[in-house]
Amino acid sequence: MTKLVGGDGRTHIESRLMRESLQNRTVLSKTESERDLQIFPDVTMVSIGGQSIFDRGKDAILPLVEELAEVKRRHKIVIGVGGGTRVRHTVSIALDLGLPTGGVAQLIGAMEELNAILLNALLAPHGSMPMQRDHFWDLPLYFDAGITPIAISVPPFHFWEPPPIDGAVPMHGSDFGLFQMAEVLGFKQVIFVKDEDGLYDKDPKKHKDAKKYGKVALEDLIKNPPTENILDEEMYRTWAEAKNIKRVVIVNGLKPGQLTRALDGEDVGTVITKGGAQ
Amino acid sequence: MSERRTLDSALAGATLTGAQPSSIDYRPVAVMPDVRVVKIGGQSVMDRGRAALFPILDEIIEARRKGIQVVVLAGGGTRARHIYAIASELEMPTGVVATLGKYIPMQNARMLQMLLAKHGGLYIMPDDFEKLPLYLSLGCIPVMSGMPPFGYWEKHEEGSRIPPHRTDAGVFLSCEFLGARRAIYIKDEDGLYTDDPKKDPSAQHIPRITAKELRERNLPDVVIERVLLDYLPRSRWCKELQIVNGLKPGQVLAALEGKDVGTLISA
Repeated sequence: MTKLVGGDGRTHIESRLMRESLQNRTVLSKTESERDLQIFPDVTMVSIGGQSIFDRGKDAILPLVEELAEVKRRHKIVIGVGGGTRVRHTVSIALDLGLPTGGVAQLIGAMEELNAILLNALLAPHGSMPMQRDHFWDLPLYFDAGITPIAISVPPFHFWEPPPIDGAVPMHGSDFGLFQMAEVLGFKQVIFVKDEDGLYDKDPKKHKDAKKYGKVALEDLIKNPPTENILDEEMYRTWAEAKNIKRVVIVNGLKPGQLTRALDGEDVGTVITKGGAQ
Repeated sequence: MSERRTLDSALAGATLTGAQPSSIDYRPVAVMPDVRVVKIGGQSVMDRGRAALFPILDEIIEARRKGIQVVVLAGGGTRARHIYAIASELEMPTGVVATLGKYIPMQNARMLQMLLAKHGGLYIMPDDFEKLPLYLSLGCIPVMSGMPPFGYWEKHEEGSRIPPHRTDAGVFLSCEFLGARRAIYIKDEDGLYTDDPKKDPSAQHIPRITAKELRERNLPDVVIERVLLDYLPRSRWCKELQIVNGLKPGQVLAALEGKDVGTLISA
């Protein structure tokens, strides 16, 4: 039974962590185990690039919407979108004004949301709805009703964005936000839809001899990172410490069918795996 | 295929990871540098009840009367430890544990607001932060949960299921955004010791130390969330963490007046 414990001027509730300092490493290690609960193991997070897809306009967006409308019938997906060039414009103005990092973080989510509204307007006739920030517990309802949720991609760090490792640009953007949502809910995988066939060792837009990764282990990628990365560094750092997600795929959204093939389990684009997963 | 239509800016085409390009001359502006953000500990103060809390509130009210702008953030305490212990047994991901951890500091903040109400105590949410200038110019004492709003987006840290950013981090990050130099923590000890003084009576008090020295000592236990030792050296505004003993009369007021009492951990 629950017991209240006193005697030192404080009233405690009996528990394994009672009276303990939560900074003590031995105490902390007792809370840890190899695995995390996987809440929705059959759901895929699909992240659609801002610069790579939305900033190209109609020609890039409409075929992808058609593909999503088709593939959502067969797969449980949550969609998130990047903000693209407007985010970069926001950040460059905000930094010129000297706004603190937390202030910049507070601003940027609005630009992603514009793309989310556009996508939802196009996909709604096929069954889609914007999902409020962390209304994850509605997900079973969404999937039962055939509705694809469109998630908010920038995480809610806002004014409390921690000081970045380098410079003043917030470290937690939409790549991190969508990855972390998939991780904490124990999704099956994350698919990033970009405008390249996958991840390259250098920027294929600038270098003709850039080499594409086919299937690569996260551990190798961290040891030997590409010179320019298509995804945010913070996503890789977070993934390295994470327990649930074992597979991240990067596909070309300008080539019809790639996203569908990735969702059907095929190795297309670049497949990054963790911990020896296939 | 249509080209990417990009807006011209210093960051156009960039991946937005790492430092900003050198073409941006970043000169940070302090948002509200005179505000004092102070945390009232959960286990150390709230769980002791009125005997510990009322004298502390008297000193906060006194400081406010003297014109010092105070924002109070609440810690969690034993109920947070209780839910963390049960959630850990159930192997809940850290982001879920962090979300559970939001509720107890919120309760404590509401208790503090009720007690401070007749002196201008005002319960606020993270979304109300932009209204602080109004509240403070009216002479109010805004009270908020100390938990930063990361929730499900709190990352897992190796060797622990407990969220690394809790209410200590919330106070520091609030100061860092506001441009305040010193974050103040009211606990039930004089500050930092060589070990937990509640368990080891021979533990010695450390009045002043740098984050770097503290990390190098590699103590089994520290009085402040460890993540702050990583953040202090790279913060722009908040360069000092001050830990004071709320059980000793006068310490809280002295800290709010900017005096060096308790332990100071500096960048």
